[in-house]
Amino acid sequence: MTTKPKEKPSRFDPEPLPRRDFLGLAALGSMALALLVSAFGMLRLPKAAVSASPAKKFEVDLPDALPAGEAFVPPGRNVAVFRDAEGVYAISTVCTHLGCIVKALPNGFECPCHGSGFASDGAVTKGPAPKPLPWLKVSARGNSVVIDEETTVASGTKV
Amino acid sequence: MKKNKYLLMVSSIGVFALLVIAAVSENFLKDWHAIQGQARAEDGPIEVRLRQVVNNDLRRTDRCVTCHVGMAPGEQITSQLKVAQPHKPVVHDPAVMGCTTCHGGQGQATEMDDAHGNVHFWTEPMLPAKYAYASCGTCHTPLNVPNLASLTSARQAFERLDCYACHRLDGRGGTIRPGGNLTGMDGPDLSHIGLKGYDAEWYVSHLGKNREGASEAWKASFREISDADLRLLKLLLDTQMGAPKLIEARAQFNSVGCTGCHAVSGFGGQNGPELSRVGEKDPNQLNFRNVPGERSLTNWIAQHFRSPASTVPGSLMPALDLNEQEIDLLTMYMLSLRRRGLPDVFLPKDRVKAMRFGAREFLTEPATVYSTICSSCHGASGKGARFPGNPPNPSITNPDFLAIASDDYLYATIARGRTSRPMLAWGEGERGLGDAEIRGLVAYIRQLGGGVQFVSDGRPARWVSGDAPTGERLYKANCAGCHGAIGGGGEGPAIGNASFLTAATDTFLVETISRGRTGTIMQGFATPNTVRPALTRAEIESIVAFIRTLEKK
Amino acid sequence: MENEERTALNTFWHNLRAVPVDLYRAMFRGGAPVTDRTRSSFVFGNVFLHLHSVRTHLWSLRWTATMGLGIITTAAFLITLVTGVLLMFYYKPYPDVAYQSIKDIHFIVPTGRFIRNIHRWAANVMVVAVILHMARAFYTASYRKPREFNWLIGWGLLVTTLALSFTGYLLPWDQLAYWAITIGANIAQSPREITDAMGITDLMDIGGLQREILLGSDIVGEESLIRFYLLHVMILPIVMAMLMAVHFWRIRKDGGLAKPADVNERVSVSQPEHYPVFTEEPKKTYQLAAVVKGRTPAVGSGPENTVPSMPHLFYAELGILMFTTLVCVALALVSDAPLKELANPLVPENPAKAPWYFLGLQEIVSFSAFMGGIGIPMLCWIGLGLIPFLDKETEGTGEWFGGPGGARLTLWSMVYGFATSIAVEAFAIRFGWLREWFPDVPQLVITFLNPGTVITALYAAFSIWALRRFNSTRAGALALFTCFLCGFIVLTVIGTYFRGPNWVFFWSPADWNAH
Repeated sequence: MTTKPKEKPSRFDPEPLPRRDFLGLAALGSMALALLVSAFGMLRLPKAAVSASPAKKFEVDLPDALPAGEAFVPPGRNVAVFRDAEGVYAISTVCTHLGCIVKALPNGFECPCHGSGFASDGAVTKGPAPKPLPWLKVSARGNSVVIDEETTVASGTKV
Repeated sequence: MKKNKYLLMVSSIGVFALLVIAAVSENFLKDWHAIQGQARAEDGPIEVRLRQVVNNDLRRTDRCVTCHVGMAPGEQITSQLKVAQPHKPVVHDPAVMGCTTCHGGQGQATEMDDAHGNVHFWTEPMLPAKYAYASCGTCHTPLNVPNLASLTSARQAFERLDCYACHRLDGRGGTIRPGGNLTGMDGPDLSHIGLKGYDAEWYVSHLGKNREGASEAWKASFREISDADLRLLKLLLDTQMGAPKLIEARAQFNSVGCTGCHAVSGFGGQNGPELSRVGEKDPNQLNFRNVPGERSLTNWIAQHFRSPASTVPGSLMPALDLNEQEIDLLTMYMLSLRRRGLPDVFLPKDRVKAMRFGAREFLTEPATVYSTICSSCHGASGKGARFPGNPPNPSITNPDFLAIASDDYLYATIARGRTSRPMLAWGEGERGLGDAEIRGLVAYIRQLGGGVQFVSDGRPARWVSGDAPTGERLYKANCAGCHGAIGGGGEGPAIGNASFLTAATDTFLVETISRGRTGTIMQGFATPNTVRPALTRAEIESIVAFIRTLEKK
Repeated sequence: MENEERTALNTFWHNLRAVPVDLYRAMFRGGAPVTDRTRSSFVFGNVFLHLHSVRTHLWSLRWTATMGLGIITTAAFLITLVTGVLLMFYYKPYPDVAYQSIKDIHFIVPTGRFIRNIHRWAANVMVVAVILHMARAFYTASYRKPREFNWLIGWGLLVTTLALSFTGYLLPWDQLAYWAITIGANIAQSPREITDAMGITDLMDIGGLQREILLGSDIVGEESLIRFYLLHVMILPIVMAMLMAVHFWRIRKDGGLAKPADVNERVSVSQPEHYPVFTEEPKKTYQLAAVVKGRTPAVGSGPENTVPSMPHLFYAELGILMFTTLVCVALALVSDAPLKELANPLVPENPAKAPWYFLGLQEIVSFSAFMGGIGIPMLCWIGLGLIPFLDKETEGTGEWFGGPGGARLTLWSMVYGFATSIAVEAFAIRFGWLREWFPDVPQLVITFLNPGTVITALYAAFSIWALRRFNSTRAGALALFTCFLCGFIVLTVIGTYFRGPNWVFFWSPADWNAH
């Protein structure tokens, strides 16, 4: 055995304290760094780079016989389109409270989830909704209209 | 035990370095980063991020617009960057329909080679730009297309009659004047008029406006049109679906008789493969051994037209002796045959008409019907044709033939064909030719043959009562060499064919044997020649009697 | 301040300020691991670390003892686990949609392609490492008493690893996956070869049942995909984790790594880290013998040649973990995981190849589906499981190529193993096999007489010779194991590099005819 008897330490002796271990600390530090970078990379993954939703701009043919003030809801869209003497306008039917789809009534909108009510121009009349329903950008294209769900316009803008 | 610490340190630093490299290359070194970095909108640089067009109904997710950022929904690129230019104005908004719907390729990819399909396992590479119109065939079905000759004269008529002065057609013409209509032109754009439909009485109303002299343009640019020109204009307008090149390609297809052997959407011959989805063929499954150039479907199809037998070993398809321009048009039409299933909301009217209401993709006017169906085998002028490896196709405009073949015989032949021969029963089946179409075709064949009419001898269909055994002896000596021992055909037509014998009258047979066919090796047996004496009338009738016995076999 | 009244509010405020320090103390009760005692408590006070013993023998810490292969396997498993969970964010297990989602991962998911590549490479590293780890355990005769059971656990882990890798193969739903799985499923059906020959398929269709349970349908379709997905992300990982836990726990309970009987004479102790313990005759014997098998630490009188596991063992483990990560990340950077065209049930891939570790089997499957796919693999697998129960010798435990014959026999076996398999394969490739000579030969004859069975028989003969020559089961096992390892390598290489379309032999993939 290599330990000489006279140096032979006893297990009752206090263990000598390790000297400061720069190599070990550097190794652990670099590992922590590598893991930190990889954790950052992994955290990026769940945030999708693009959302898989179709274009928010769509074209719609309004029925010829649409009475003034009556809502026309294009199939599959959360928009109510109206036509009156001054022109065409579109109001979003997504409740500003928690995103339920409001129902268009003859004199306004009503949210089925938490009872918010909106006037026919989108202004809040009751319930918890914090903001009026936004008006959406409408532009004419030939005989039909193009509605852009992503662009809101000032209330009362008619085309 | 320092080596473990070194191992840990070196490995960790290595991992760190590689992660940094990966992060940099993913976030900064992609081609599209550079492209979007250079692109400028009116208010300065655009945000560098992935962009895509999604159409859930068509199941498209097209990230082409990540590089072609000028075509991305809502982007207005002002810089002169070729790749980032906006799309030219088209009927279908690319931001809604997606890119690959028309152009093919791999929409999900974000790198050029992958996206354009230049990877060996991607089955649907992009359509070459010059064949871009072929993509209309994915959803649309061109209807009522004439043959190329008619189409060309129709287009010439449109130009000759100065219609371009007021109307726009496929991006040409339509002078913009103050006081024009909504689009600034005097007349409406006619590019899609065939799809949308138009007022059948337009000529009457045009003429009225011209007489009233509503404006200078009406007086200067419009004049009376002949009936022949009106027919040509109708023919042109009916085919207007915004894809002039595709119509031209289909017109070429209608000019070389491909339908005689190949079916498209359920109409056409069965001797060759069905072509309805030939434009979707997977290049990886094709044999490119004898195809020079790139391994693309386009190249394969073009080479196949040049030399079918070497491209597909064992193919019966004859080389059609086409020029490069014709091959180009036919290639384009083949590429357009990609009729995949579509969600109902995207089914265009023309496709519905063709699928559900049996609308013809070719014009049902006799010349077009003839060139679409008959011309490949019987020749453009009906003189017949022979291709190596196939039975010879008889001349059908031979005056000797037309003189003894009644209209009923021609009608029956077209409608019921020849059992187990290349000649199909064109009048049968769900999509078969209708009565009027076949009658038109019969008249057209006579017209091709110089207007020779049939003169009836007033006898019933079956009158011959010759001696069949004698006939058999004579048949073996004189006829079997060309027509086969039991009339199975060889150099000459298969005269033992049951459907032939049903349609042919005794007079037809007797007269054919007697007079022969000028210009073929079938010579009249009633006249002697250097190698054999003439046959008597009785001998000929006995041969006919023998031939009649073949009918029962 | 000292006179300040200790109001309740004051105490609350004081406690609140002390939360960080108290939290730290609550978590790390033992204090900094600097002394022998605190280092020990660091290990056994931690749920994850207490699988380790508190002190590790110097013999076990040498790099040549294990080459770190077990840790590499574990590390690769952890990497696949983490990357696999991340991939599940975007993967959708439904035909066609699955393929599209992999395309999305490849093209647009942030770090998606990189993580998929790492997942794929780590899986391959794991398969290689698990095979090498098994070879290490075998060549150092570490399977002997008391480690027989742990050898069996490892035996199960090998199969689980291959199954995990194989089930992952279908998930991209591309041509590669589809046809590999079709072949795999038909191998599962191959017991029909036997039942057909016996004419009892109608009564007892084991093969058909296996295939049906695997696929959930008669074709590889959406049912199969969801089954493979379930196996890949849920059932097999759980089995794996449980087996691993038992495997690790048994290492500790079986007395650590296998060591030669005279291990203490072999280890030179000169490192400064080595602070000897148990240097004197103990005052009383620790009654550990009943709990921990092997040599109890308290009985001996000489110094234990051990060092504290914290930090020496952990540096080694972390080092290997990061090294494995480095290898996987580097491979992921240079080589993308394959993704071919969308699965098309009408157009088979040609050649349709299974994952590389099954290509050896595919090579013998090309003669008999049953023998290649089930018969011979089962034979090898059962043989492997029986090793610790047949070899009860003691010579050479814990030493590389220990036992009668030793390294020299291993070398001979290697030469014989390579030569035999290459010769038989070359013969079959050059001259064909029974079916080519006698087209009417019954399948049952080929099932029992094909290159796979011939190679197996030749190996068995050699092993019996070695057993008699050295008068030792260990020698026979050494010979047989080495031979099979060589045969596996030869067949895998032939299947991977020398087989082209229609499973025809080619000298190089460049000679494959384009379609």
